[in-house]
This record gives sequence, structure tokens and C-alpha cells, in this order.
Amino acid sequence: MKSNRFSFPKTSRRDLLRAGMYGVSVTAGSKFCMPLFGQAAAAVAAQAGSEGKTLVVLELSGGNDGLNTLVPYGDDAYYKRRPNLGIPKSDVRAIDNHFGFSKGMAGFERLYKDGKLAIVHGCGYENPSFSHFTSMAYWHTAAPNSGEQYGWVGRLADEIAPAAPPNFVVNIGARQSLAVRSRLHVPVVFDDPNKFSQEKFYEEKEVLNSVAADSGAVANPSRRFLLDTARSAKDASALVREAWSKYRSPVDYGIAALDLPKVAALIAAGMPTRLYYTSYRNNAFDTHVFQNDVHKRLLTYASDAVAAFLQDLERIGRADDVVVMIFSEFGRRVPENVNLGTDHGTANLMFAVGKPVKGGQYGKIPSLTELDPGDNLIHTTDFRRVYATMIAGWLEHGDTAQLLNGEFEPFDMFHSQKV
Amino acid sequence: MPRSMERCGALLAVALAMAASSALMMAQAAGPAAWQNDLTPITAANWNYDFAAHLLERAGFGGTPTEIDALAKMTPAQAVARLVRFQGTDISKLPPFDADDIHDPGLEPFPPSRPAVTDMAKEKGEALGIKVKPTGNRRLQPIVDEFFYWLRASALETNRVAYWWANRMVASPRPLQEKMALFWHGHFASNEAKVRDYRKLLGQLELFEKQGTGNFRDLTVAIAQDPGMLEFLDAGVNVKGASNENFAREVMELFTMGVGHYTEKDIREAARAFTGWNYVDLTFVVNKDKHDDGEKIFLGKTGRFDGVDVLDIIMQQPATADYIAGKIYRFFVRQELSPELQKQLGAVLRQSHYEIAPLLETIFLSRDFYSPASVGTQIKSPVELAVSTFRKLGLNGAPGVPDFNQATAALGQQLFSPPTVAGWAGGQSWITPGLLLERANFARDILFPDISFLPPDRYTGGGEVRRVAERIRQGMDISTATKDEAKSGEIAESNKNADRDEDFNTRYGSFRGSQLAIERVKPIPRDTAQIHLAPMVLGADLKTTKQAVDYMIHRFMRVPPDDATRQKLVKFLENELGTTDLSVARTYLEEPLRLVLHLIMSQPEYQLS
Repeated sequence: MKSNRFSFPKTSRRDLLRAGMYGVSVTAGSKFCMPLFGQAAAAVAAQAGSEGKTLVVLELSGGNDGLNTLVPYGDDAYYKRRPNLGIPKSDVRAIDNHFGFSKGMAGFERLYKDGKLAIVHGCGYENPSFSHFTSMAYWHTAAPNSGEQYGWVGRLADEIAPAAPPNFVVNIGARQSLAVRSRLHVPVVFDDPNKFSQEKFYEEKEVLNSVAADSGAVANPSRRFLLDTARSAKDASALVREAWSKYRSPVDYGIAALDLPKVAALIAAGMPTRLYYTSYRNNAFDTHVFQNDVHKRLLTYASDAVAAFLQDLERIGRADDVVVMIFSEFGRRVPENVNLGTDHGTANLMFAVGKPVKGGQYGKIPSLTELDPGDNLIHTTDFRRVYATMIAGWLEHGDTAQLLNGEFEPFDMFHSQKV
Repeated sequence: MPRSMERCGALLAVALAMAASSALMMAQAAGPAAWQNDLTPITAANWNYDFAAHLLERAGFGGTPTEIDALAKMTPAQAVARLVRFQGTDISKLPPFDADDIHDPGLEPFPPSRPAVTDMAKEKGEALGIKVKPTGNRRLQPIVDEFFYWLRASALETNRVAYWWANRMVASPRPLQEKMALFWHGHFASNEAKVRDYRKLLGQLELFEKQGTGNFRDLTVAIAQDPGMLEFLDAGVNVKGASNENFAREVMELFTMGVGHYTEKDIREAARAFTGWNYVDLTFVVNKDKHDDGEKIFLGKTGRFDGVDVLDIIMQQPATADYIAGKIYRFFVRQELSPELQKQLGAVLRQSHYEIAPLLETIFLSRDFYSPASVGTQIKSPVELAVSTFRKLGLNGAPGVPDFNQATAALGQQLFSPPTVAGWAGGQSWITPGLLLERANFARDILFPDISFLPPDRYTGGGEVRRVAERIRQGMDISTATKDEAKSGEIAESNKNADRDEDFNTRYGSFRGSQLAIERVKPIPRDTAQIHLAPMVLGADLKTTKQAVDYMIHRFMRVPPDDATRQKLVKFLENELGTTDLSVARTYLEEPLRLVLHLIMSQPEYQLS
């Protein structure tokens, strides 16, 4: 079993501790003056260019069925293996002679035709896991079949911004995703912006709202970190609530907005965030049973939400700065099952969406006939290549080998990319 | 009479003295800065209440002033021995785990997935000890139901095991035994989602409690042959001719040496040595026909090694003792560990031939342990936070409201569910702005229980399963009931007779499995925390609001907040009571004290150990 890993030791937590990195984040955190709402926009404007580039990661949880998302209507094998679930040619939105999007994905079809949607075929990894939990952890840590404590987005933040300014990473969700777990950064994690605050009794407000103004003099490094985080919690929660209350958009995100309006609100408010992480939650795409109707709906919602997000970015004036990367923890098995659904599979599509993206299809289309012993697709692209594409190609951080524990060649996917 | 009240009378002198001299307290809390990285043992002359409190917080989960006082009265060597050499301490009052009878014969070996079960059933005419029906619709349904039943029941039972363990952590007179078990659980990590068998996880916990302060080599061999770990690391698919490196890699990278002390070739050779290792039900077996007993070259040694030989060679590497000693140090002391100190600690472990107890004693008696760099500088993990809170409140166990597993999971750590085999990252990664707010919300849930609390073990399944349950109750056929677009009450009559012909229905099986599971798994008792702050404060003979606040800060926090905050708390209590005189307020004292305690537990400093 070949492994992509280098034999040099990856940076372990032990090594980084040796380098005394803990001190860095804490002092930086205490010196960073959180800009007031009005000043934040100016700060961000000054950061335009490569520094303003932002990545939004959208996770479709549950294992999205790639074959019924981008339907290979030109391939007979697809209909042979899916006599009931196969989507007829008349029902797809064709993008070329071979593929077409599921019927409800008007948004994605338009984005593709406008050249703003990149599709990467056959993304996966060796020795794939069929467990939601395990496979998602591998995608979150970019360390398949290995153990890695920090998320790839967290490690990315550590590398491109080792001074760890507050609010650099925002994760919208009920809990912090492993993907954003970082050694140096304090990701802002919230779900409902209106509820991003501490539950408290009315009488307690005054005491709870007073956090130490300057923790610089505190000797205990852990205490300093906690005070900084508390301040960040107070500031970030205030910023988030304020950004949300000021956000007014005429754009129609459809039925399931997937938290993208929250991202748009923060971008519009000039949050200095460069990395956003959000998801279509609760394993929604885990379509084991009676797949077609529910899957079509899910795809419609997702497509509407992403297309609307791009429109909203145009309206805000930040469409040149933002790229959305979309993935799922695995695809689904090629043949349908007896419950008119599909079971957990392997390789899947990944998408990159945005004005900066060179639309088109990337990677090699996996074969529908040469399958693995479980009737699953054999991946043709290691998913870490797409991560490397985002990191090096979009965010212009060239050294991905350390970050991803291996050499993964980026695709040439962005207009601004220097190959 | 609540434990807290019984203790309060004895605390009078201590409480008043401490309350009166908080500034002096801080100066005594740690030794001189020069003590950092010095493993020289402290002397009896150095010993005091604060050092004892620090020891109990780290070697256990903290305690009440009475418990700390008992340790403070001993010499440091006696106190450390009491905690580390716990074998003489009686734990017969701790109840054993009250297991539900949920494991049916025929469930072993449990197939990896629902498709695997139904494939097996079609092929053999039975699976999971249940036969395929000879005729009729959904002939495989009972088998599918049983599959989902086990997944649900084992998950629920694992939550009960977690509760049992949490209760032990709160109540055990051997706190270090439980804390070491927690350490090993995070080190030799496996989780319920993959293992799917509460018996295996309970077995691991029992192993960690029994051998946690024993010999590391023996413990490693035991966990490498543990059915839960073998399942978690796919040992079963590691066979001669097709070795799976997962197990060998994790053993070397995460469990023993750490990255950088072996090559990929070593991993492949080690994997060969582990081939054939598997388990049958709860017993370790070596399938000799699947074992590659050829010659291997591993870490410079040559021989026809098997898995145990490989582990022994690993133990001979200097890197192993350094790595493990370092990890133990970081768990109990602090994250920053200098290479020199790590080597010294590794040497201690090596010299004791991998006995853990001498290393712990060295650490807990060292000047470094009581240096300012180590005292009050650790961030409590969610489990530590919860358990130490319960201990300091004088509780006998973990309350049922809020649910311990839900609460700690929301804070980022659920027992038996580490996110990956690397365990939990720990340190500062426990804290994000949202999580800091969440910790304060957790404190609120303990002090002011939610009257709308829904027990998760009786409100099972996601919305989908509940929808199916509702529709089945309305009399819908299974096909219609498990369709997505059907809304309750909106199905046309014609559709109600639309039962499809199929071998089985997965979604129905998921519903039915949940139902079977709650028939057989006992509910977790839903008592709330029995807290009596007014008797605690009045029993300590405190008179003023300032004394009450100082007492509570001292009792519950290891690092006090700054003076401005302290004054705000006093003012707050005064406003709530309408007086500074506690005796005037004695008939309505409880709620204001709880509010103060919530404010205290909301302080950033409350997270520090």
C-alpha cells in the first residue's frame, strides 16, 4: 500500500512547543486592538489584493451521491447499474456531451456556463473509509488513515498568519469542526448570530460584560490566553451580532441557505476573516433510502444557496476576493440498493466556485466499470491536491508539503494563479 | 445531611484565615521561579495548603477544603504516596457497572455495515442469529431491525458506561486511578462510533483502571491485544500477503515512539509481525494461518518477530520512554516541556523499567511541579472541568440534568468518542470564544437546571426516525411511512395502501431498532445536583458579603480573578441581598449565592487548574 507521506518527520506538537510557539499567539492576541465596527471596513480595504483573499469551505455532510449530482448521462454503465435511480438524459441540465447536472441545479448550471464553477472528478484517497465519522475526520485533518490533532484549515491559519489575529477563522456551526481546530488561532464559532452570547440572568449582565481591558501584564500564559479569548468572545460576539443586524440583502438564497448569508453578512461588515467553514449538516446527504426525490431537493437547495451567495458577493463588491470549495466525506456506491437509495461509497466530485475560478472540469473521470471489489469508484485524484490548489493557487501560500504532509500538485484553477 | 454541611463546621478557622489574607495566599500558592525544570523533591518545610490543593487538582480532580486539608497535614511524600500508591485505599463502596442484558447470541461477529448484513442474509438464509422469513414481504426485516437495534443499544449502553465512569471520577477515594484511566483513554484512543460494542469499551476502561499506574510495556501489549483496539485499528484485515499498515503505524506513531524514530520500511515490517492478530467476541486470538512468520528487519534487529517481539523492540528505544514520559508530563503539569527535562523524565521511566508510578511520584514531588510555570497554568479539559466542579460542590456523582455526555460533548470532549485515534489535542485547543461562553452556560445548567430538559436517551433518533414513528402510529404502511415527502396527515387515502414489495426497509429498521433499544437499556437517572450554598457559607461562620465571595473564590477557583472583578462580585451580592450582612439575608440566601457562583464559574480563570 503506497503512502503519499514523506519520511521526514511532520511537525509534531512536541516540535512546535519546543519552538516556543505558545508565547507568540498570546502576546499577539493581547496587542491586537480589535477594530471597532466602522474601522474594520477600512482595515479590510487596506488589505485588498492577495491579503484580502478569502476561502469559504462548504461541507456537504453525509456522503453526497456525486453520480446523481453531475450525471454521466453519456455513459451506459451508469444506467446499467442504476436501473431505477439513474436520472434520464431528458431530466438533466447538460453541460457537455457526457455530463449534466441534476434537474434542480439551475444555479450550478449557470455558474458553470459563466465559467465560475470548477469541477474536480474522482477525488478521494487510498484505503478509503466508509464510516462517516472516520472519513470526515480524514478530510478535516487532511491526514487519511492517520491521526492528526489539528484541522487542515486550522493548520493553514497557523501557517499563513502565525501572529494569530482574532477572528481570522470563522466556523458557523453548533460545534467547532475538527477542520478548523488550530494550535495558534481562536476560531470564532457560532451558530445563530442572535444567540452568540452567553446565557445569563439579566442581573448578571454588568459583571459578565466587564472583561479585563488589557491582559498584557498577566504573567500566567494560560490565564492571559483565556482573558484574550474572553475578550474575543465578547468582541466577536458583539461584531457578529452587529454585522447580522445590519445585513440586508435582496438576494434570494432559497429554502436552505446553508449559513451562507451569515458569511455574506460578516464579509459585508468587513470582518478580517480569511477562512470560513460551514456545512450542510446532520448527514443530510446520507441517502440510503428512496433517494431521488430527497437528493434532488438537497441539491436544489445547495445550488440555490451557493449561486445566491455569489450574487450577494457581487452586490457587496467582494466577488473578486472569495472562493467557495465544496466537498463531501465520500461519494456513494455505483449500483443502487434495494431501497431505491445508495450506500456509502468512495471517490466523489469536489467543486470550486467563484469569480476568481477558471471554470471547467479537472482531473480524470473515474471509470464506472473498473470498480473496486465493493463496486465502488476508484479515486483518480487525491483530495489533498484540491486542498493544495486552494492553499497555493488561491491563497498563494506555496509551501503545502509541510501543511499537508506530502507533495500534492495544485491544479491551475485561478485566473490570478502563477503556475 | 448533605456532605457540604457536615464539612462546613470544621472549616471555620481555615475559611476565616484564608478570606482575610488573599494577597498572602497568592504569594504562597507557588514556589520560586527558579524551581522551574528542577526535579529535586520538595521538602516538608515547603509544604502548605495551597501546594496540597494544587496536587489534588492535578493528581485528581480537586476537592473540598476538608480533603485538601487532610493532604496538607501529611508530609509531601505521604500525600503523593496516598494518591499514587492507591492500592491500599478502599473502594468497595463504589458500585460495579450495572450492565443491561442487551447482547444477543448471534451478534458476534458483527458485520461492518447494513449492506454486509443483508448480503450475508441473502447468501446464508440467516444473519445475526435470525432467519430469513420463508415467504411474505420484507423477509429480511427482522434481521435489519436487529442490526439497527444493536447499533442503538450499544451506543446507549456506552453512554451509561460513561456515566458510571463519571460517577467514579467524582466519588472515588482513588482519584488518580480514574485520572490515569482518563489519560490512557485519550492516549490509546478508540471510539464508540467505530468499535460499536460497549463491552469492548468497558473492557478497555477496566484495563486502564487496573494497569494505569503499572508497567507501560505490559499495558501496551495488553491494549495491542484488546478487542476494541483491534477493531478500531482494522487489525483483522491485516493478514499475511496483504498487510494493512494502519495498526503498526498508529502503534509506533501515536502509542509509543512518536514520528521521526522509524522508517516506512519499519512500519511495513512491523505490520507483517502483527498479521493474524484478531479477536473472537471478547477474546484475543492469533490466526496462525494468516500470520507471516518470516524473517523481518525491524529497527535494526533481525528475526522472525511476532507482534509482542516488535513491542519489546520498541520499548528498547530511548525515544519510547522520552515520548511517553513527555506525554504524561504534559497531561499532568504543563504543555511546554524543554527537551532537557523531557530526557530526564524519560530516564526516570527507563530506570524503573517502564513502571509508571515512580515517574508520577517524581513529577508530583518535584520542585518543577510547584514552580509558578506549573501552578494554575493548565486549562481543564471538559471532563476535568465537569468532574472538579461536581467534587467542589460536594456532590456524590454526576447529576443527570444536564446530561453529562451531552454537556461534555458540547464542550469538545465526550468519553469514548475521541475524534480520531490521536485522541484529544488538549491545552489551548479546548478553548474558543464560543466554547468559553459554553463553559459558562454549562455552569448555569448545573446551578439552575433546565425545566425543559429532554433526556437524550428517551428522546432518541433524529427528526427522520421520529417522523417514521409518528406515521407508523397513524397506521401508514411502511413504504409510505418511510418516504421523505410524506407529511403526517397529508397522505391521500390512495397512497396509504402503497406498500412496496421489498426485501427490507432500512429506514423502518432504524426506527424499529431504536424502539427495541429503549426497551432494553435502562434510562439514566435524571436527578439534579443537590447544592446547598447557603448552609455552606453560613456553616463556615461567614458574616459579610465580602467574606462569602472570598470564601467561594477560594474554594472553587485555583487562580482568583483580579481585584476589580472581585469587588464587582461583592457589589453584585450586596445588590442581590439588599444588605452586606449575611445573617439578615439568611432566609433567601441560596439563589443569590448561586448567581455569584455562576459568575465565578463564568470567569476565564475558572478554566484553570
